[in-house]
Amino acid sequence: MSKPTANWEKLGDKFYRKIQLYTAVFDQDLELENYNAVGAPYSGAVAIYRDENKITTYRGGQANKASIDIYSCAGKLIRRINWDKGTIKGLGWSEDEKLLVITADGTVRCYYDLQGDFFPFTLGHGADEHGVQSCKFYSSGFVALLGNNNLISVSSYTEPRPKLLAIPPAEPVISWGIIPPTYSLSRSVEVILAIGETLYVVDATEAENRNFDAGPFRHISVSPRGEFLAFYTDDGKVWVVSGDWSDKLSEYDSKVKTVPKDMQWCGSNAVALAWEDEVHLIGPNGAVTKFYYDAWIHLLPDVDGLRLLTNDVCEYLHKVPDASVEVFRIGSDSPAANLLEASSLLDQKSPKADDLIQLIRPSLAEAVDTCIRAAANEYNIHWQKQLLRAASFGKSVLDLYSSDDFVDTCDTLRVLNAVRFYEVGLPVSYEQYRRLTPEKLVDRLTNRNEYLLALRVASYLHLPTSHIHGHWAQQKVRVSTDTEEEICALIVKKLHGKPGISFEEIAHAAYDEGRVRLATELLNYEPRAGKQVPLLLNMKEDNIALDKAIESGDTDLVYHVLLHLRKKLPLASFFRVINSRPVASALVESSARDQDHELLKDLYYQDDRRLDGSNLLLSQALSSPSVTSAIDKLKSASTYLKDSRDSAATFQRHALDDAQKLLRLQEQFEKDLGPRDGSSSPSPGGNGSSFVGLSAHQTITALLRLGHTKRALKVQSEFKIPDKTYAWLRLRAFVAARHWTELEELGKAKKSPIGWEPYFNEILGAGNTRVASMFVPKCTGLSAAERVDMWMKCGLVVKAGEEASKAKDRALLEEVSAKASGSAKVEIERLLGMMGKR
Amino acid sequence: MAPITPFSASEIAEKARRDLLLLLEGIRGKKNLVLEKALAGSVNLLVKSSTLQEYGVDKFFFLENDNVNSSQRNVVFLVRGEKAKTVMAVADQIKRLRRDSQIEHEFSIFWVPRRTLVSDQLLEEAGVLGEASVSEWPLFFVPLADDVLSLELDDAVTDLYLRQDPTSIYLAARALMQQQQKHGLFPRIIGKGDNGKRLTDLLTRMRTEVTAGDASSSTSPSFLGLAPSSTADSLIIIDREVDFPTVLLTQLTYEGLLDEVFNISANQTEVDSSVVGGAAPQPGQSGSASTSRERKILIDSKDPLYATLGDSNFAIVGNLLNKAARRLQSSTGRDQLAAKTTAELRDFVAKLPGYQAEQASLKLHTSLAEEIIKYTHTDIFRRSLEVQQNIMSGLDPTTQHDTIDELINRDVPLHSILRLLCLESTTNAGMRPKDLESFKRTVIQAYGSQHILTLSNLEKMNLLQPRGGSGLGATPAAKPGSVTNYTPLRKSLKIWDDEVNEAEPNDISYTFSGYAPLSVRIIQSIIQKHTLANAIKPPSDPRAAAQANPLAQGLRIFDDASKYVRGATFDEKQTGEEKAIKARNMLNGSHNDGAKTIVVFFLGGVTRAEIAALRFIGGKLKEVGGEGERKQNCGVHHQHNQGWELG
Repeated sequence: MSKPTANWEKLGDKFYRKIQLYTAVFDQDLELENYNAVGAPYSGAVAIYRDENKITTYRGGQANKASIDIYSCAGKLIRRINWDKGTIKGLGWSEDEKLLVITADGTVRCYYDLQGDFFPFTLGHGADEHGVQSCKFYSSGFVALLGNNNLISVSSYTEPRPKLLAIPPAEPVISWGIIPPTYSLSRSVEVILAIGETLYVVDATEAENRNFDAGPFRHISVSPRGEFLAFYTDDGKVWVVSGDWSDKLSEYDSKVKTVPKDMQWCGSNAVALAWEDEVHLIGPNGAVTKFYYDAWIHLLPDVDGLRLLTNDVCEYLHKVPDASVEVFRIGSDSPAANLLEASSLLDQKSPKADDLIQLIRPSLAEAVDTCIRAAANEYNIHWQKQLLRAASFGKSVLDLYSSDDFVDTCDTLRVLNAVRFYEVGLPVSYEQYRRLTPEKLVDRLTNRNEYLLALRVASYLHLPTSHIHGHWAQQKVRVSTDTEEEICALIVKKLHGKPGISFEEIAHAAYDEGRVRLATELLNYEPRAGKQVPLLLNMKEDNIALDKAIESGDTDLVYHVLLHLRKKLPLASFFRVINSRPVASALVESSARDQDHELLKDLYYQDDRRLDGSNLLLSQALSSPSVTSAIDKLKSASTYLKDSRDSAATFQRHALDDAQKLLRLQEQFEKDLGPRDGSSSPSPGGNGSSFVGLSAHQTITALLRLGHTKRALKVQSEFKIPDKTYAWLRLRAFVAARHWTELEELGKAKKSPIGWEPYFNEILGAGNTRVASMFVPKCTGLSAAERVDMWMKCGLVVKAGEEASKAKDRALLEEVSAKASGSAKVEIERLLGMMGKR
Repeated sequence: MAPITPFSASEIAEKARRDLLLLLEGIRGKKNLVLEKALAGSVNLLVKSSTLQEYGVDKFFFLENDNVNSSQRNVVFLVRGEKAKTVMAVADQIKRLRRDSQIEHEFSIFWVPRRTLVSDQLLEEAGVLGEASVSEWPLFFVPLADDVLSLELDDAVTDLYLRQDPTSIYLAARALMQQQQKHGLFPRIIGKGDNGKRLTDLLTRMRTEVTAGDASSSTSPSFLGLAPSSTADSLIIIDREVDFPTVLLTQLTYEGLLDEVFNISANQTEVDSSVVGGAAPQPGQSGSASTSRERKILIDSKDPLYATLGDSNFAIVGNLLNKAARRLQSSTGRDQLAAKTTAELRDFVAKLPGYQAEQASLKLHTSLAEEIIKYTHTDIFRRSLEVQQNIMSGLDPTTQHDTIDELINRDVPLHSILRLLCLESTTNAGMRPKDLESFKRTVIQAYGSQHILTLSNLEKMNLLQPRGGSGLGATPAAKPGSVTNYTPLRKSLKIWDDEVNEAEPNDISYTFSGYAPLSVRIIQSIIQKHTLANAIKPPSDPRAAAQANPLAQGLRIFDDASKYVRGATFDEKQTGEEKAIKARNMLNGSHNDGAKTIVVFFLGGVTRAEIAALRFIGGKLKEVGGEGERKQNCGVHHQHNQGWELG
């Protein structure tokens, strides 16, 4: 076994290693130098497409067909997408392995699985006019540079919403780069443009000149986590600046005349410059190491390293993790290195093993941890084993040690080794695996149709498998040549009852494939109505969709279906559909009330709901601007009910006719009396300027206040308002208008339908004790004590005393006396004396 | 006590707050916020407006006013997306801004509580869907107090009972499901009312949907989540339809009267500043420095003074205020003089802010109470209360007609009259057709012909109906279960209590000074069987154990009573896989037999007085059985006038 340090290179005081992942990657005939290669993050698939700027030899018809080829890292062709849509101006991957292809006219195609299915959208903002120049991608979005230097940012592919960023100066852009929103200070995407000699930083709101005059800059590269920026100047220098622009960290002179074809970060600590067959790796403080190849080389940057791709090999260049350095560095005497040594001595049955263990005894736990970490980061299975064995040996010596990390690492390594296998071709590093998460890894396997492996991995890691099953089923309905019954039976047999299976998605796939019957069949197994309904609508199964929506109880779904139906069906059939479904018709009624009165009218007519129809007309009458049109509406509301015989309808007709009568009267009054006097204190209910709109009672009140008693009486008789009510209205109207004389006049009557007490109370409430007191003697129905109280309220103590003495109630009189004072006191005393005598 | 308290109000509030702020943070720069009026209260309750300003909100607008201007590039709409009307309003305003404004706006729409298909469809038709970035703010429950959660759906009653639109049931189910997913299923769902039944069915349905849907988390948490909870005992659902009279009565607790007089909405009420004094911002007052004459007052259950006042009968509030004033005076006054050593002084000074807050709160509540007294001393109030009490105690309602007539003649606000009329109708299974017709005519003559619609709506909701249902034909002659029959209930549930004690309440009847709300009685018949049984039929031998009372066995009272109560009765048990139950029990350890929460859900609103009554039961249970008790009153609270004056 070769030493693990064999592929290490020293760069400054750090080590980098270049791991050979796969050999014989591409067909030797493939002229990689004429292609662009773009790799998906986390060691995902590689897409290559012809670079149109390069001249190629003509080789007859068949090879000339343009295509985008998606390969695994091991060179296995996953998918070939035939391309005839024009010049590709940008091609990149999202974090979840969606392939984005942007053409010069601003059309974007998002290939969401690796199977060639895509959805398109356009950039807009003048992209078709000025043309897309190039694009830069980050984990969940991209920025496109147009011919007029406008920048368009798309930040999500689920609902792409291209946004125009601030407009930079229009001079030619030499190179550019982006800082992803996750790492920028402003939390939105920032673009760095090299224009002329300087740099501009552009975000959503402004384009700022950084006054960085060392340019022109040929390459701009942003480190994976945005903490550093690297620039390549025209005179062959590499500048590294911190992400917040505050520090210039290093400057390196490459002393090369040719501008490199690419510059990329390798992790966050080194920058790689690539020429055709040469790579320079530049570390901090100008340290450099060089690699030479004998074929054209492509750099595929990743979060923690760099993939190097040539026709022959796919290599992974990254910084050697600290744990590995500690264990493997030549001459290392760290505890971990000793532990590894001890473990191999043990294998050789050498007694020295124990000596070594005793030597590192104090830091053994740490040594075990280091070995585990080193194992996790190791690609070579032999050394993984060695390290784990050492860790296990160390563990056994320790009394107390939590084995969680050990077990975890063993599980992870098993998965990693499985997916790194060349037939799968996912050379994920440990760091990438942690960031990608196991769930996403399983998704990637699923997208590659590696169902068996995906299932094994998922069950090994205790992850849900429903998605894998779902994907399998979708694939099945797409490509299987079996009869529909067989497919359905097979899918149901395998998947029914498993939690998390979306039969809707499977049905959708079937429907897209044109297998409608299969889709309907499958949809029956979907328990979630929210999922069923839209597809059912697509499939034109409107009635079923409506029923399912109602069943779900989600009114949103019901509305959704109803809107759809309303647009599609003629009115009569629409009503027929909803008639048998009370919830649906209630919802139609409810929303029509807000928006569409015509529909409501038709609905009531259709259902023969006379009362509701008449109410609708009434509500229109109430909102109509003129009296005449209001009366007309009321009239039709009343005729609407002509044929109904039941009591509610009769009552309603009566009320409506009354309302018309009242309106006519009010109109008449207004003509006769002119607009009502607005200066008087606010009248009950009305706005103080018009009779129209008042109720019958209010009309009477208003008339009385203005002194038109005759007219008021007319209204009373017209509407058969009881005398009691009229008396009350008159009383309150007079009190409100302060018609004291009229009130006194009323007091001369013999009888009042409401008794005299209300007169007293109302007048007293208005503050006129004089007039109020006039009514006290008339309240004969009350007890003496109450009358005494009334006198007292008017401030007439003597009268109160007289009342008490008349009733011969001594206690009452004494009470009065206690409250009296001055001359009244004397008078009361006299009355008391009189009573005492008797 | 319990390891995870289900329905923790603060947790829910915090989550809602974070969600909203996160959404706002997602929009760069300053923005104008357009709010639906109905949401303003909830938002204000959850997030201070100063915090919103910190998150870049520049100006606030109401959707209904349609006046958002172009002063900011970013415009954010925060609206409910269930109704086509609001969706169209949003679309229109976006179109208007786009047309009129010089600058290019960035529109964002936060749908509450979810993004609906309809909203997408309508926005797309209006051609604005592409213009706006759409997200959702999943605000379901709004905590009003530590033990009260509300959905704050203002239109729920109109929708449910008048328009038969079950949207609110669905939202309620979603809200409850969300809690179930977090804390486990309610082992039992029991309750009364047709809509309640529908809600239960929806919950059952959602359970299967969730099991089928959740692929990502079919691992342990949700697996446990859908097992019965060990901290919640049951969910009691009361459909408002079951018991309308309680809402129609005047509430007589302090909080209830505050609501009657000043109208509480989302725990806030606006009071004329001449009543409470505009100066000296209270700790509870909202941060916005509005100088208008109306002052916003937050009903804060954390205020210790209010905590004692809120649920008390108003008759004793004066005494309580007095006592508090005296205590405060003695503790501030005497301490000040007595404080001699510096240490004592320091103690005193440290307590000062507390005293000041208390003093401010005392001042506030005293002036509020004075205002309420002014209201309760009016003749009109007394007369209408008299009518209510007479009707509830079982007097022949026709004897009250003269008083009602007089009140109409005195032109008291229409809603008071309607409350009395509906009360009579709902407690007596309708009114005599002749009486009803004459009242209807009088109301129309007194208040205007637009109220033909009001009355017709009330009839549709069965709040006002002729006896025997000869009228509309919509209600065929009182079928059992179609109408609540109060006459037998008055006895079997003792909903009228002649010996009410307002100062030291011994029964929930104190909340209405005699009437024990039927809704709460039903709940009692489920959870507090012994007490209720003894209250209804006092055992001849006081020493006889409660078990001896035959009424207390099983669900007898509940079953007996529900025969006379309108709507469906339901009692579902939710069980899970045995494994899961075991696992949950193990996780929660010995707490299993500790305190359990009973959740009460009012579908279609609850009054403040009912909440007080529930708290009273909760307190009693804690004393007697050592069984901890927290109740949640969800749904929409207090909706007296909703749906009445639809013109």
